[in-house]
Amino acid sequence: MNKAEPCSPTRRLRMLIAQVMNRIRLRSIQFIITISFMVITILVVLIVSLMLYNKFSKTAEENAYLNIQQIIEQVNSNLENYVNGMIDIYEVVEDQIDKSPTISSPILAEQLRAILKSREDLKSIALYTRKGDLVLNIPSLMMRKNTRLEQQSWFEAAIQRPKELTFSSPHIENLFKGQYSWVVSQSRQIKYADKSGRKQDGVLLVDVNFKTIDEISKKVSLGKKGYIYIIDSLGNIVYHPQQQLIYAGLKYENLEQVLSYSYGSYVDHSTGESRLITIKTVEPIGWKVVGVAYTDEILTTKQDLNQFIFWVLVVVILLVLLISIYMSAKISRPIKMLEKSVKKVEQGDFNTRINVKGAYEVEQLSHQFNLMIGRIGQLMDQIIYEQEAKRKSELDVLQSQINPHFLYNTLNSVIRFAQREKKEEVITMINSLSKFFRISLSKGKNIITVQDELEHVRNYLVIQNMRYKNKFQYKIEAEEKALSCLTLKLILQPIVENAIVHGIEMMADEGFIHISVNIVGDKLLFQVTDNGLGMSEETMQQLLTGHLKSEHGSSVGVKNVHERIRLYYGDEYGLQFESELEEGTTVCIWIPAVYEDEGGGVT
Amino acid sequence: MNRTVKSTLWVLVAISLLILTSFSYTSTNDLVNPEKAKKIHMIAKMGHGDYWNAVKMGAEVAAKEYNVNLVFKAPNNENDVGEQIKMMGESIKQRPDAIILSASDYMALAQVTDEAAYYNVPVLSMDAEVASAKVETYIGANNYEAGQKAAERMIELTGTDSQIAIVNFVKGARNADQREEGLLDYVARYPGIKVVDIRYSDSDQRIASQLTKDILISHPDIDGIIALNAEASVGVGREVKNMGKGGKVKVIAFDNPPENMDLLQEGVVQALVVQNPFNNGYLAVQLAVEASEGKHIPDRVDTGIKLIDLDNMLWPENQKLLFPFVK
Repeated sequence: MNKAEPCSPTRRLRMLIAQVMNRIRLRSIQFIITISFMVITILVVLIVSLMLYNKFSKTAEENAYLNIQQIIEQVNSNLENYVNGMIDIYEVVEDQIDKSPTISSPILAEQLRAILKSREDLKSIALYTRKGDLVLNIPSLMMRKNTRLEQQSWFEAAIQRPKELTFSSPHIENLFKGQYSWVVSQSRQIKYADKSGRKQDGVLLVDVNFKTIDEISKKVSLGKKGYIYIIDSLGNIVYHPQQQLIYAGLKYENLEQVLSYSYGSYVDHSTGESRLITIKTVEPIGWKVVGVAYTDEILTTKQDLNQFIFWVLVVVILLVLLISIYMSAKISRPIKMLEKSVKKVEQGDFNTRINVKGAYEVEQLSHQFNLMIGRIGQLMDQIIYEQEAKRKSELDVLQSQINPHFLYNTLNSVIRFAQREKKEEVITMINSLSKFFRISLSKGKNIITVQDELEHVRNYLVIQNMRYKNKFQYKIEAEEKALSCLTLKLILQPIVENAIVHGIEMMADEGFIHISVNIVGDKLLFQVTDNGLGMSEETMQQLLTGHLKSEHGSSVGVKNVHERIRLYYGDEYGLQFESELEEGTTVCIWIPAVYEDEGGGVT
Repeated sequence: MNRTVKSTLWVLVAISLLILTSFSYTSTNDLVNPEKAKKIHMIAKMGHGDYWNAVKMGAEVAAKEYNVNLVFKAPNNENDVGEQIKMMGESIKQRPDAIILSASDYMALAQVTDEAAYYNVPVLSMDAEVASAKVETYIGANNYEAGQKAAERMIELTGTDSQIAIVNFVKGARNADQREEGLLDYVARYPGIKVVDIRYSDSDQRIASQLTKDILISHPDIDGIIALNAEASVGVGREVKNMGKGGKVKVIAFDNPPENMDLLQEGVVQALVVQNPFNNGYLAVQLAVEASEGKHIPDRVDTGIKLIDLDNMLWPENQKLLFPFVK
């Protein structure tokens, strides 16, 4: 009991599935068409959309990367131009100082002031001795105390690498009174002529503020969240949209990895978000332009595409489902109707006619089916008729085998001969009669040799000749080969009987009956010729159709022979008449030439 | 006839499905849910001065970043406790998402802070605490430690046998009291150190100058003066310089207004105790947003203090702290 209980739900489920499967009928045309249509379409759509998706997303991604790279390159080249411009200015300043006969020349101060004024981003120009004493500064502001400039990087660099123009990291300018401000310093050791005109080594400082760098960088954006920043070769931030936050330690950039690149890009996960970092180095001074793009923004096109393709798929699948159900129903409905009709036929209704409209093939099929059904009906009718006819003719044969009328007449003749004590005639007659019946019956066989058939008709003629008191003569001829052929039995006797009764009995002169058997090609020809009254064309016609009314009824026998031959051997065989009134009649009987040895099987 | 009607029906169904799905696709795509801007009130002690400007700047940067509608309010003077209480009351009425309060008076602002909590408006203390248990957090320097550091440096400069004076700002303000307390506690270890005067400048540079003048006159042998906030520092430094006592009377000042930096470089001020006002403002807004969203925030956020002198003022990290990067 306990074991059966958990089984029952699964069994129920299985039954349910089976029911559903039954309903669907897995092998029905509709199901097969629907499924295959759907599978193929969906597969094709899937493959195509996958390919498109791959292609599109790849292109979109590549474009995004390329775009970012181009932006960075643009910023980079702007910066390079800017830096080169700054170097040029530095060199102009250096040149002016170099050319000036003395550093205290007011012309020089005027020239330098003009240079400083020409650019908003130039903060100050200053010349120091190698010891750090101020020689000249534009604008001429008071020096602060405690500047410790000798320890500042720009000164140290100029002293250590006198020939090289260096750009310092961003730093606070604390040299002159006024506002403290962030600058980048260019410095190098140069020669100048002191007040007395002697050449001295000095350190030239040109401070640049961040105005232009900010302008170059500020407008650049990489997507909604993305941005660029600039660092110097040591990793100090030169520009960052959130520079103050970074300086205050509230935001960080993962600079370690950035510094290891001079050019290229990588994906960074240090902030928890996936970000594409693109780096390019500003050649003259080793600064790096770093682009930060958020991967999810780059991939929005991909996500859009994803969504779009998903919906397209859903719509396509729905459409395909609807169309395929509709199509398959359209195709399979006529076939189902055909199936129903065929079932009716199977149940025996040959009058069913299908009127199925639909595909050409199905229409043809139904048309052919209708024809076939008609033909089958006809054949059925024919078979029924032929069976009936066969049975009837067999009965006739049976009857003619015994033929009581003939027997009665013959026995009457025998009695008459016996009364007149004509012993010879009695013997001959009885003997012939006995042979006649033996062959008539011939152990129930339908087929006998031509020889037996001829023997049979000879005995008949003997008896008839005696009865009609030698009113006619007869002759039987046969080709030697024909004797051993097989034939349907009792085909000559009714013809001969007809010849006697209709041809010779009424004749005043002596009659003559000639019977011959010949092989004509592959056919066997029996010919019964009499010289009797002959028949009209009409009578000949009626003989075979059986419409001839005769008091003796023997015409039935002729027709019967004709039908038996045709039933047995086919329509190309049978009887032919040639007759002329007052001249006589020839009846030709055509049957196939079948030899005894080869036709042994035929019974 | 029937069949054609049926098939057209199918086609209609299919087309409507297509249209429907495409519509739903576009509608989901275009549907943008603009996050409502948070409304946060910041009530400072005073609306001017470099220190408060830096706080305000930090707060505004955070407001922009976190989509906050920031309302910055402050009385004209740091000692205007009544005005601050009034401002709190007004803010509470407007039911902002959070209030950031830098209380001018530890006790006086307590009641109105509790009231805000009663109306479910979270209050965050910044810069100076308030005597309320309902406050979400405190963002600012460790003022006691700041006082101690100032005292420590002063004693290094003047030696353990000297006279010093204190110019504080507002008595009753928690940060003023804590700095003074830290300072006095440290000085108490040295019996040779005499604190000859403690004055309150009400965060007014001119008053601070005046007080300095008084101190310098009444205590001609004084060795050092400690000023406990930015305004006091500027006043003290200015006066010491004016009276020609620069370098002779040691000055430990607070915070980094440019004038303080000037005075430091000139040698009038020997050291600065520097807080991080930008970070105070920024973090206060950031945490206020989190608090209004019901997130858990830390009880205290110490934004640190640094002792700056001539030797370390140009260190890169100190440059970044001392000189805001203004574009």
